[in-house]
Amino acid sequence: MPDALFLTEPACYRLLAAEGLPIPPHFLAHSPEEAAEKAALLGFPVVLKIVSPQVVHKSEAGGVRVALADAEAVRQAYRAVESSVHAFRPEAVIEGMLLLPQFQGGTELIVGGLRDIQFGPTVMFGLGGIFVELLKDVSFRVAPIDAAEASEMIREIKGYPLLNGFRGRLPLDLEALAVFLADLSRLLDRHPEIEELDLNPVFLFPEGLALADARIKVTA
Amino acid sequence: MNHGIEHLFNARSVAVVGASANPGKRGHIILKNLIEGGFTGGIYPVNPGAEEILGKKSYPSLGAIPEPVDLIVVCIPAAGVPALIREAARHGVKGAVVISGGFREVGNLQLEGELYRASQESGVRIVGPNCQGINYTPNHLCASWPLIRTQGSMAIISESGTIGAALAEWAEEDGIGFSAFISLGNRLDVNESELVEFFTSDPATRSIALYLEGVKDGRAFMTQLKQATAVKPVVVLKAGRTVRGREAAQSHTKSVAGDDAVFDAACKQSGARKVESITELYDAAKAGGMLPGLNPSLLIITSSGGSGILATDAAESNGMHVPVLEPEVKAALAEALPSQCILGNPLDLTGDTDAERYAVAARIAAHWKVAANLLLIFGDPIPKAGEMVDRLRREIPQQIIVSYLGGGEEGKIESRKLLDLGVATFPTPERAVKAISTLITKRKDLAEKEFFSTKTMPKEDLL
Repeated sequence: MPDALFLTEPACYRLLAAEGLPIPPHFLAHSPEEAAEKAALLGFPVVLKIVSPQVVHKSEAGGVRVALADAEAVRQAYRAVESSVHAFRPEAVIEGMLLLPQFQGGTELIVGGLRDIQFGPTVMFGLGGIFVELLKDVSFRVAPIDAAEASEMIREIKGYPLLNGFRGRLPLDLEALAVFLADLSRLLDRHPEIEELDLNPVFLFPEGLALADARIKVTA
Repeated sequence: MNHGIEHLFNARSVAVVGASANPGKRGHIILKNLIEGGFTGGIYPVNPGAEEILGKKSYPSLGAIPEPVDLIVVCIPAAGVPALIREAARHGVKGAVVISGGFREVGNLQLEGELYRASQESGVRIVGPNCQGINYTPNHLCASWPLIRTQGSMAIISESGTIGAALAEWAEEDGIGFSAFISLGNRLDVNESELVEFFTSDPATRSIALYLEGVKDGRAFMTQLKQATAVKPVVVLKAGRTVRGREAAQSHTKSVAGDDAVFDAACKQSGARKVESITELYDAAKAGGMLPGLNPSLLIITSSGGSGILATDAAESNGMHVPVLEPEVKAALAEALPSQCILGNPLDLTGDTDAERYAVAARIAAHWKVAANLLLIFGDPIPKAGEMVDRLRREIPQQIIVSYLGGGEEGKIESRKLLDLGVATFPTPERAVKAISTLITKRKDLAEKEFFSTKTMPKEDLL
C-alpha cells in the first residue's frame, strides 16, 4: 500500500490518549531484561507484542505471546518473538516489544472506524471473537455521535442481551462503552486522515473497559 | 442548495425539444402526456421539420417561440444537448428535463462533462440526463410517462425510471395518486438531497419515497433527510451495492462493513425508514401519507382467524407491540359481542360478523386504550365496511388501518372506497403490518410523542 500506512501500536495509543480516550497501561522494552523489569511494574501475567512498522498482522508473524506469568517467561518470549518475526519478515525493523497487562474476565468486543466513500468517517461496534468473525453482529454509525446515539447502537446488535445480564451474567458497563464510542466517533471525525481503525479486542467489564490492541491505517 | 429547483415543478410554460409526430417516440409521448395531463400553461413542440404536432403549432427552435419558456423537456440526440442548454439559457429557460440517453451510462464521460459545464455556466438546472422525466400533479405537469393525473400526497424520487414508474402505477391503481414523480437518471445536476429539501417544504407532499443506488454527497443527504423526517416520513430503498475500495479490506472493521451497513446507519441516524423491496417502499410511503402516529402498539380485529394470526406474526417479528387484553376489557367485550367471538389480540369476530360488530369492538378498545393502532381485517365480503370505518375514525383517536382480503368484488370496491377516503388500506394483513411497522419507531422517546394524539386523516385534509 504505497498511499497508506499503519501506525504501530504505541503510536495508536499516543493518538488515542492525546484525544482523551482511555488507553491501557503499557511499556516499550528494547531488551529481554528490560521487558522483564517492565512486566514486573505492570504485574503478572502480561502480554508481549512485537512493535515493527513492517508487521501489521502481529499474530501471523508469531509476534504475540500471552499469559506470561513471570520474569523468565517474559525474557524467553522476547527472544522467541524476535526470532520468529525475523524468520517471517527478515526486513522488519524491530522497534522493541510492547508489554500490556493480561486482562481477565471481561467480555470481548470489537470497536472500529472506517472512512466511507459516500459518508466519511464512521464508527463501528460489535461483540468480539466468533461473533464478529462468523456472525458479523456489528452496528455502524456515521461519526460523530453522542452517547445517546451510541446507546442505540449498542442495543441494536443481536448479541445485546449478552452484555446486559443474560442468564445471570453481571451486567456490563454500557454507560462507559457508550461514552467511549461517542468519544471515539469524535476522534474519527476530527481525523479524516484515518482510513481504518480497529480496536480488537476491547474488554468490557462490569465497571469500565480496557483496550488490548489497536491498529490504525492512515492516508500517508 | 435548492437553487431554482422550484422552477422545474412550478413551470408556467414548457417546450418539448425533439417533439415528434411519431406515436412511438418519447418526444411524442411526453408532449401528449403534457396536453392530456391538463397542463394549463403554454405547451410548445420544438421540431424544425414539423408544422404542427398533436394539434399544437411546432416551432423550428426555442428562439422562435413568442412567449417565455420556463422548462424544456429534451428528447433530441445526446450530442446536441449541451449546446441546446446554452441556447435555452439565452431564451430565459430555467430548467431542463433531459430524457435523452447516450452520456455517462454508455461510457461517454466527455459528453456528460460538457453537459455539466453547460448547466453550471448557464445556470439552467438539469434533471437527468437519461431519465424518465418529472410529473408534479399540483401543477398538472406530466413531463414523463406513464400519464398519471391523480393528485396525491406521496413524492416519488427514483434513480431508476422503471421502479419509480411502478410505484406511480400502483398509486394510480389504488386511486391515491402522488404529488410528484422524479426520475433522477444520471443525476448530473439535480440530486436527491436537493429534491428531499424541496419536498420537505412542499405542502402537497406528506411522504417521500426514495429509490437510490448511491448518494452524491452522503453528509449533505443526511442533513436534508434529518430536516425532512422531522416533518414527514421518508422511506428509502437502496440497491446497487458499492464494493469499491473493499478489495483491500485489511481491517476487521472494513471486512464486516456489509454492503449497506453505513448507508443503513446514515438512514437510521437521519430518521429515514429503510426498506428491502419495491412493494415495501410503496406500502410504507402510502401509509406514511395517511398515518401520522409513531406508536408501536397494535390491536388486530378480524373476521378471519388465519389472517389474524399472520398479522400477529408479522407485527411481532417487526418490532410492534401486540398487547394482551386486560380482564376488564375482555369483560366489556364479552358483554357487547356474540358468544362465538374469540376475545384476545387478535380479536376474532368470526366469519358471520357484520360491519357494526367491528365498530362495537373498536369503540370498546378505544375506551380502554388497548392500543394506538387498530388493524381491521375484513376477511369476507362485509357490506358497508367502508361507511363504518369512515364513521369510526371520526369517533375515536386511534389510527385505523384496514386489510380487505377474500372479499371478492365487494372487497375490491370497498378497498378502493376506503382509499378514496384516505384510510390506509392494504391487500394483505402482512403488508399492512409491515407498512406501519416501517413507520413506527422502536425509539421510546419518539414513540411517546404521538401517543393517542392523532387520528387517521380524512383525505380532504391531505390535499
